[in-house]
Amino acid sequence: MTRVVANRQVLAGLCIVALFVLVAALAPNLAPVGPTTQNLSEDLRPPSTAHPFGQDKLGRDVLSRVVYGARISLLVGVLVVGISAVLGLGIGALAGYAGGRSDELIMRGIDVFLAFPGILLAIGVAAVLGPSLRNVLLALCAIGWTGYARLVRGEVLAWREREFVSAAVALGATPGRVVWRHIVPQLLTPLVVQATFGVAGAIVAEASLSFLGLGVQPPTPSWGAMINDGRSFLLVAPHVALFPGLAMVLIVLGLQLLGDGLRDALDVRTED
Amino acid sequence: MRAYVLRRLLLAVPTVLGVVTLVFVLVHLIPGDPVDVMLGETARAADKAQLRRRLGLDRPLATQYVRYLYHLARGDLGRSLQSGRPVRDLIVARYPATVELAGGALLVAVLCAAPLGIAAAARPRSALDAACRALAVVGTAVPNFWLGPFLILVFAIGCEWLPVSGRGGVAHLVLPAVTLGMGMAAILARMLRGSLLERLGDDYISTARAKGLGERRVLFKHALRNAALPVVTILGLQAGGLLAGAIITETIFAWPGIGRLTLLAIQARDYPLVQGCILVIALSYVVVNLGTDLLYGLIDPRVRS
Amino acid sequence: MLCMLAGCTSAPPTPPGCVTVGLDTAPLTLDPRFATDATAEQIGSLLFDGLTRLDDQARRVPQLATSWDMPDAQTYVFHLRAGFRFPNGQALTAADVKATYDSVRNPRARSAKQAALEPIDGIDVLDALTVRFRLRYPFSPLLNETGLGILSARQIAASPTTPLPQPAGSGPFRLALVTDDRVVIVRNADYPSQPPRLAGVVFAIVPDAVTRLLELKRGTLDLVQNGVDPDSLEWVRHQPTLQLLTSPSTTFHYLGMNLRDPVLADVRVRQALAYAIDRDAIVDTILKGLAIPATGLLPPSHWAYSASVPTYEYNPKRAAELLDDAGYVDPDGDGPAPRLRLSYKTTTIELRRRIAEVLQAQLANVGVALDVRSYEWATFYNDIKQGNFQLYSLSWVGIEDPDIYYLTCHSSQVPPLGSNRGAFREATIDQLTEAARRSVDVDERRRLYAEVQHRVAQLLPVIPLWWPTNVAAVNRRLHGFEPRPNASYASLVDAWVEEH
Repeated sequence: MTRVVANRQVLAGLCIVALFVLVAALAPNLAPVGPTTQNLSEDLRPPSTAHPFGQDKLGRDVLSRVVYGARISLLVGVLVVGISAVLGLGIGALAGYAGGRSDELIMRGIDVFLAFPGILLAIGVAAVLGPSLRNVLLALCAIGWTGYARLVRGEVLAWREREFVSAAVALGATPGRVVWRHIVPQLLTPLVVQATFGVAGAIVAEASLSFLGLGVQPPTPSWGAMINDGRSFLLVAPHVALFPGLAMVLIVLGLQLLGDGLRDALDVRTED
Repeated sequence: MRAYVLRRLLLAVPTVLGVVTLVFVLVHLIPGDPVDVMLGETARAADKAQLRRRLGLDRPLATQYVRYLYHLARGDLGRSLQSGRPVRDLIVARYPATVELAGGALLVAVLCAAPLGIAAAARPRSALDAACRALAVVGTAVPNFWLGPFLILVFAIGCEWLPVSGRGGVAHLVLPAVTLGMGMAAILARMLRGSLLERLGDDYISTARAKGLGERRVLFKHALRNAALPVVTILGLQAGGLLAGAIITETIFAWPGIGRLTLLAIQARDYPLVQGCILVIALSYVVVNLGTDLLYGLIDPRVRS
Repeated sequence: MLCMLAGCTSAPPTPPGCVTVGLDTAPLTLDPRFATDATAEQIGSLLFDGLTRLDDQARRVPQLATSWDMPDAQTYVFHLRAGFRFPNGQALTAADVKATYDSVRNPRARSAKQAALEPIDGIDVLDALTVRFRLRYPFSPLLNETGLGILSARQIAASPTTPLPQPAGSGPFRLALVTDDRVVIVRNADYPSQPPRLAGVVFAIVPDAVTRLLELKRGTLDLVQNGVDPDSLEWVRHQPTLQLLTSPSTTFHYLGMNLRDPVLADVRVRQALAYAIDRDAIVDTILKGLAIPATGLLPPSHWAYSASVPTYEYNPKRAAELLDDAGYVDPDGDGPAPRLRLSYKTTTIELRRRIAEVLQAQLANVGVALDVRSYEWATFYNDIKQGNFQLYSLSWVGIEDPDIYYLTCHSSQVPPLGSNRGAFREATIDQLTEAARRSVDVDERRRLYAEVQHRVAQLLPVIPLWWPTNVAAVNRRLHGFEPRPNASYASLVDAWVEEH
């Protein structure tokens, strides 16, 4: 454990992520103005003392929107990864432990999901259910769970044959209990590492969905929507997309440092 | 070997069938009527009903599904609802462009990631390692739809070395391939670095070093071979992701590929075209996966069983 | 000509004498019998000729037909001009006209244009240059359909019920190449009135707006019409090689309301919403002044336009009063609690969403909370068609005949039969629009439609927002191009490029 804390990467990553979590939590206190207060006559003003990050197309304060946007982006990241991981854990563990036919069947199912182009699945979901934050989460989870399932299944298959597991079963433990008490703790480290990268991926995926018009609805500020919106002003007012873009780069950096650091520190295998 | 390939292909059939079914169900569930899109608003209800009958859209879903499978088994992908042209022709016209872009992106990704990943593993915590980290962050955090215009501004407008958009010769391929390949390069670089670092810590490496083999030989001949395995796996999985990124890249660079065709087909509710495109995409994914598995077998003979 | 063809089909830079136009989508089909999307119509005006064409006042003027007369209210006789030829040298005759129209009217062809030709009973070829249309009943808007591009009977016989992949017309340009990412047309030197000066036009499909801008700057695109974001137009003005050309359009952008909804059935609520919207602010800041706040469906350039209609200038106080009258009182005065919640549907286009956000803020000022939902087109259109909405906004593009009032306001025209999406029902409007379609007297129609415009503005089934202006970003080397109100590329016929 001390190795984890002492690792500088982990420390740096944790600091950055903690900073963003703090910003998101304290958004109402940190943002100088509301994120939806419009001021049409001051559209696309560059950074100034009153508005350090400048103003967007509707005259809204970019700094406030970036700060509030942290909430949405972190929410998306954490929820998508959380739900995908739980789903993937369940299905993967089932497949790995059951083995044989059920395993084959589930693996086919996973393959189908993997062969299906993710973004088109997201479009399908958004088209059926209408774009909204909730449906963004749904779409991203539908794409994301497969990675965790594969990881978990592989590990469960490997660990299933270990002696202490057969011993536990011989002593009368139910399969569920075996999985929970003995196998899952072994999985925690690769899972955590995958999760930190997953959060970064989900935040960026939300931006791509905004590009296709399927992200969060106005006037909700999300970094992805702001970056996409700012594209139209690339040539005249780059500050609109620059600051949420920097925020995204920074949090991805933090999450990557965290993930890599954890992996280096815990010396985890990287097989998929 | 042949038996292995055959078995894998056979196993792929239910997967592809599963994808086809999933698409069929999904696309018919989405609200929106292709007949409306085709005939527009002023068409009479009777005309719309007649068209629906002609296209077989008024039959129950199960019947339509069975008919689709029947035609599929005979190689007939149907006709596009919008233009009346055979789906196969439409896809064949655009598929090479997609392959070209995907191949280019893969090349860019490997060319960027391999040297950087290896160098970063050889000299951890050095400037090269930092550069590898920078690539990973930028490649992941900067979305395609920003990287593309930025690259255009620098290379096509600033110094007019490359064209802005469109498909043509090699010069046209550079910017779209770099845009699409960046994300993949980021993941590969980190993957390779991590994997290589681990292998370098293995026992047999210490043995090799103790035997007096040069560092470079150790790195390339022994560690890299094994480190490449998980990277190859990731490569296979990412190949599917290339298509997702490709829709955006195709839109920005006006690249006439399958991704954009599928998007437009979905928007127009052109069922046969959507189904045809996704079928082709799923098949490509299966083939690429088979390819990476074979590559895996080549690198590590132990796997071939 | 083959060299020209080869030259024009190669990738940029644009070959001499040619012009490259940027489009955001590819036309689905160029066959005029089946083409319904705007892009196909705009390119089609360069390739095909119709009996008549539209002038800038939305009136029908001669093209293939030098004149036409009406022996009675149900018959039109068109006299064709000689000299129009198809690429194979064959002259265009009345038989080709009949073949084209009959092909569209054929139910097996499943053409979207069939319904509009329903009033036609039959078409007769009187001689090589005279053709007669017999109608079932008097129907003045029929002239609108006489812009249909004419194909040769031989082509039609080869493909009677499916679109031709490469249709050949008699127009000033000939179709040379159609691929997934470009459409190439070349000059028809034998065009009777005045052959074009341009050697050819390349229509390049560039889906992304920012990329189109960058191509314009680089010079690989010479012309982009209505495809540039309003905020980038200032940047375009600053480019030494580019210039902006504008023209009023025949597009009408509006806020639709569902009159089946009990809240919106009250005309006071509808009028209140109209007073609560500050259209000038939106036009000035979001559209950068490139629109005119609208008073009704028909633009001022239209021959049937009536200026004396009630208008709703921005007046939030009046809006609040009307809402109070209607029974929707503000529960907490100036506080955040709204009087009313309404849902607003729009498409996923950036500009539309931005406008939605502004409307949201403006309506919040008078205590109306707007819940904005954006959908991709087909889902959105499906909802609108089925009446599954409260508010939405859309545009009518290419308004020609005032008969559109029948389509949008007559009680029988509720979807799927027509476009009266809000289910507006009003007896006088029904009578007026019916009478106007039957009348063939222009002055009488003008009078009837003036009254329709007045009543519609009073009862407000939709809230007029603005008439967008057509904007073309043009490379200075292209001369003689003028954007037309219906955004067609027809003026490329008179355009020319200077060569260095």
